[in-house]
Amino acid sequence: MTLLAAEGLTLSVVIGGSTIPVLRDISFALQPGKMLGLVGESGAGKSMIGRIIGQNLPHGFRITAGSLSFDGTDLLALPRDRHRALLGDRIAFVPQEPLSALNPVLTIGQQFAEHLRRLGIARRERYNRAAALLAEVKLPDAASLLHRYPFQLSGGMCQRVLLALAFASDPALIVADEPTTALDVSTQAHIVTLLRRLQASRGTAIVFITHDLRLAAHLCDEIIVLYAGDVVERGPAKEIFAAPRHPYTSALQRANPPLSGPRHGLPSLPENMPGIGAFAGIPGCRFAPRCPVADPACRDALPELREIAEGHFARCSPRCLDGHAAEVALEPIIADAAIASGQPILRIDDVSKIFRAQRSLLKGGRPITAVRAASLSVAPGEFVGIVGESGSGKSTLARLVMGQEAPSAGRIELAGHAMTQAKTDWASRIRTVQMIFQDPQSALNPRRTIGSLATQALEAQHHREAHHAEPRAARQARALTLLRETGLPAELAPRFPPQLSGGQRQRVNIARALCTTPPLLVADEIVSGLDVLVQAQILNLLLRLRETHGIALLFISHDLSVVRYLCSRVVVMHRGEIVEDGATEQVFSAPRHAYTKSLLAAVPPDALDRPWPPEGIADVALGS
Amino acid sequence: MPPLLRRVLTEPRAVIGGVILLLVLFVALLAPALAPHDPAEQDLLRTLLPPAWLPGGDWDFPLGTDSLGRCTLSQLIFGARVAMIVAIAAASGAAILGTILALLAGYFGGAVDWLISRAVDIWMSFPPVVLSLIFMVGLGAGLANVILAIVIVDWTRFCRIVRSEVLAVAKRDYVPAARLVGFSHLQIIVKEILPAVTPLLLTLISIEMGIAVIVEAILSFVGLSVEPNVPAWGVMIADARQYMYQAEWGLILPVLGIFVTVLGANLLGDGLRRSLDPRLVRRVAA
Repeated sequence: MTLLAAEGLTLSVVIGGSTIPVLRDISFALQPGKMLGLVGESGAGKSMIGRIIGQNLPHGFRITAGSLSFDGTDLLALPRDRHRALLGDRIAFVPQEPLSALNPVLTIGQQFAEHLRRLGIARRERYNRAAALLAEVKLPDAASLLHRYPFQLSGGMCQRVLLALAFASDPALIVADEPTTALDVSTQAHIVTLLRRLQASRGTAIVFITHDLRLAAHLCDEIIVLYAGDVVERGPAKEIFAAPRHPYTSALQRANPPLSGPRHGLPSLPENMPGIGAFAGIPGCRFAPRCPVADPACRDALPELREIAEGHFARCSPRCLDGHAAEVALEPIIADAAIASGQPILRIDDVSKIFRAQRSLLKGGRPITAVRAASLSVAPGEFVGIVGESGSGKSTLARLVMGQEAPSAGRIELAGHAMTQAKTDWASRIRTVQMIFQDPQSALNPRRTIGSLATQALEAQHHREAHHAEPRAARQARALTLLRETGLPAELAPRFPPQLSGGQRQRVNIARALCTTPPLLVADEIVSGLDVLVQAQILNLLLRLRETHGIALLFISHDLSVVRYLCSRVVVMHRGEIVEDGATEQVFSAPRHAYTKSLLAAVPPDALDRPWPPEGIADVALGS
Repeated sequence: MPPLLRRVLTEPRAVIGGVILLLVLFVALLAPALAPHDPAEQDLLRTLLPPAWLPGGDWDFPLGTDSLGRCTLSQLIFGARVAMIVAIAAASGAAILGTILALLAGYFGGAVDWLISRAVDIWMSFPPVVLSLIFMVGLGAGLANVILAIVIVDWTRFCRIVRSEVLAVAKRDYVPAARLVGFSHLQIIVKEILPAVTPLLLTLISIEMGIAVIVEAILSFVGLSVEPNVPAWGVMIADARQYMYQAEWGLILPVLGIFVTVLGANLLGDGLRRSLDPRLVRRVAA
């Protein structure tokens, strides 16, 4: 008996008088107790499917064809009030942002009470019920937790509370939209384990929406891969991950750098996924303009979703599916750059940073040690990765290197010169090291053109050295060189950041840091906000810059596989301390510190036969 | 930026308000050419005349005369000069003073911010009209002193609102990014932060113009503004008050002048806010 079934579902939006199909011909069937993964990049339409189930569509969107049935009833034809009665009862949702999904002015207890009241649970039973649910998600100290507000809890604890709320009604279906994306790897492993355990105990069916194909392959029974609103591939999860048949799925699978084995170059597909505005111009396969094996027929008509193996469907040209054209050759293995011996470009020597907490009436200024006695050095041309979870002090370390914070103890040397906070050191510091900011949306002034942003350093130089004339032509020429080096078309120079895609903006961000060609770059989580294929483009760009300019990079990331791909050395930080520092391969294959081991174990492995998440990982109870 | 200008010009409130203010400004600039009489010229035989279209009216004085037989229309037209000078000068002055302090407070934070913010708090706890009256008593009458008094009282309005905007802008990463490519603090304030608060500033200036017109009228009304021989709307109201039961038009017309000008300023301010506020704009663009 099928619990949730979609048949030829088409979602359209009206833009400027014309109706544009956003999701085309979506079909799937979810059995009770099973988990269905919806995988795709942002904008692929995966969250829209969740919103169709919740009848929570944005303005202007409506279903134009197809059907969606839940437990035998047609969800689309259901009157609004009867549909609403299903939500939170038989159909529950687990959202992406655990902190913003909980009401900040109500305690956890009040939010439980409200939900349990709606489910018709008597007042005196509510407390015990809530406590039992919280114990199931390993939050045993219900008495204290229920009196607290969401902002007093960590992201992982909030997500556990939301899981408990979602399962409170023993729903038949749960829609989880990127439930672990905002969390650290080990918290992700906890949440995922709890989700599976609750599912197993209740026989709940789950729609798991994620951008992470590897995570979905580990968790789900079946996967649907979406690209720009089309189902490009659908089938058993493990099969799709191990042997993808659609060129897009294959690119998606290979764009995620592996945690072991040879490091092949990541595939760089040209351009980006088309947005809704571009859909009308692509009548055929929406992936065709970027597809390495597309033929003219793909562009004119959408290929059929064909069953190529038992339960495994792909929407690709017959030539491709029959002739195995999807097997695109692997990129060559990337080599680590030869590290120049001699003077390091950056030396951090026994550096600590202690923050004094804000003085308040209730609490005294308790000092918080963000970085404790950290030492590391970066050779010219070396890519060093710093990994750790949020709060491990890795961003503070970057700010210390950049001189945005003064170290409380220890010394920082750049190109052999000890840096102080003095004004005289500032010019030499920013000549030696530049920073690539995490979020280009925030780091690029929306009122400046791309060309002016890329060459902002020249503008500053001109002001500093009055005699140093800044000929407009020279600045323009530099801007064009920078755009070319970062893989941006020259015609972007007069545009403004809001007109660019996320990946393009991150390239501008890199171009700006590159303007004066500093020997060292510091990059703080610069790919964490990007989709995996865009991330691959940016990582390849950084490798190319190492080749052409011999720059060194201090690459801060929580993503271990990305660090392994890029860096020849890795530094692991935990609670402000450097707990491990060594050659990447050595740290990944034979970690010494217990924290590094647990960090590595928390990442979904490439091999699907390795059980993940590891046994017992979620049994660590989170107390108060 | 042309797209910004286009957005302003397609916002009806901004256009209506702007047209009203431009009309008043135009009248003020061309006062000598437009006024049928010298506003100080008295005709003691024809005092307290109603507007021309009413019984007893005289087309020599289209809007009638006051108790000394001065032409109301001419006085209104010349009164627009005082109103416009005060509106523009006081609003710009308060904007400049308030914004400079707001930029310093919001950008540097810490002790600078504490000092400026406390000054604003203290300043704002005085009733504004009383405060400007005190200043006028101290400074003496005259147009320049009216402007000064309004600037000294109203800079806090700019300072407080612009400061919170500066705080929000300074949180964006492009500010430390500019610092890291070598911008000086002054360069960052002028080139990165000021352009971001300019739309808000334009809105505030426009609203402040309306406020300045009202404050000037109040000060004229109590005789603490311009010299008595200069025609101003507040002075006209004060004069007409004594005869308001015999000649109500002398009171209604200058009030109408103030009303229309302030309405124009507020409409323009609201229209600018709607068309320039990035939060509202983004929603339209998406």
